[in-house]
Amino acid sequence: MTRRQPPRFALALLERLVPGSTCMAGDLIERYEQRASRWGIWGEVLAAIAIEWVHRTDEIRPLRLVDLQPADAIERTRRFGRRGSTINLTGSPVYGIGGLGIAILLPLMTLVMPAAWGLFIGSIVVGILLGVVMISMRRKRLG
Amino acid sequence: MPRHLLTDFELMILLAVLRVEPQAYGVRIARDIEGATGRRVLLGAAYAALERLEANGLVSSIIGSATPERGGRAKRFFRLTPRGLRAVKNTQQALSAMWRDIPQLKEKLT
Repeated sequence: MTRRQPPRFALALLERLVPGSTCMAGDLIERYEQRASRWGIWGEVLAAIAIEWVHRTDEIRPLRLVDLQPADAIERTRRFGRRGSTINLTGSPVYGIGGLGIAILLPLMTLVMPAAWGLFIGSIVVGILLGVVMISMRRKRLG
Repeated sequence: MPRHLLTDFELMILLAVLRVEPQAYGVRIARDIEGATGRRVLLGAAYAALERLEANGLVSSIIGSATPERGGRAKRFFRLTPRGLRAVKNTQQALSAMWRDIPQLKEKLT
């Protein structure tokens, strides 16, 4: 008898995007073996990712620049057993998509929707301007 | 100090853990709630609730051994802590106290 193959991409996505979800992935395989459809598993995975994003808790001071942290931050970090947030240096705001992803996406965008370049460059310019304004306002406030 | 009362889903989760112990892991817990209530339980929601309950010290968990039927992934078994059992009892008492002396609820359902 051949065993049904669960949607491997869905499970990989789950384990990549939801920390500590290996046991849940095992549960989904078991559920799939019993009765669930492929769409059912996909639904479970997408729901789990959405729940994780909604309930994600970050430390108040992710850079750990000072030793003294608010008691609440330390307590929350301890309780949820999360590691300190990492800083995304990949040039992409989407977790898991780095330089290679950008290198693939940009030529694809040029081929499929060249008009989107205007939006892309415009958003970079607006982002830089916004950053400059925020820095100057903060400097002015601090004297 | 106010007693810790549970939400309906947390209460269902804890009762299911008690019902299926010592085999209280994701699929069994979800299936037990689905069987008893007819409500579909997403594993993601169940795990989110279980992790919250564990963070509050109401359940504890241990990781079992990996099995090939689950793609080499282990089961995570949950059990109630004494604090969790107390929270279930407190919630039951609070609900029972509110149930009492409501005439509409004493009539038989047709």
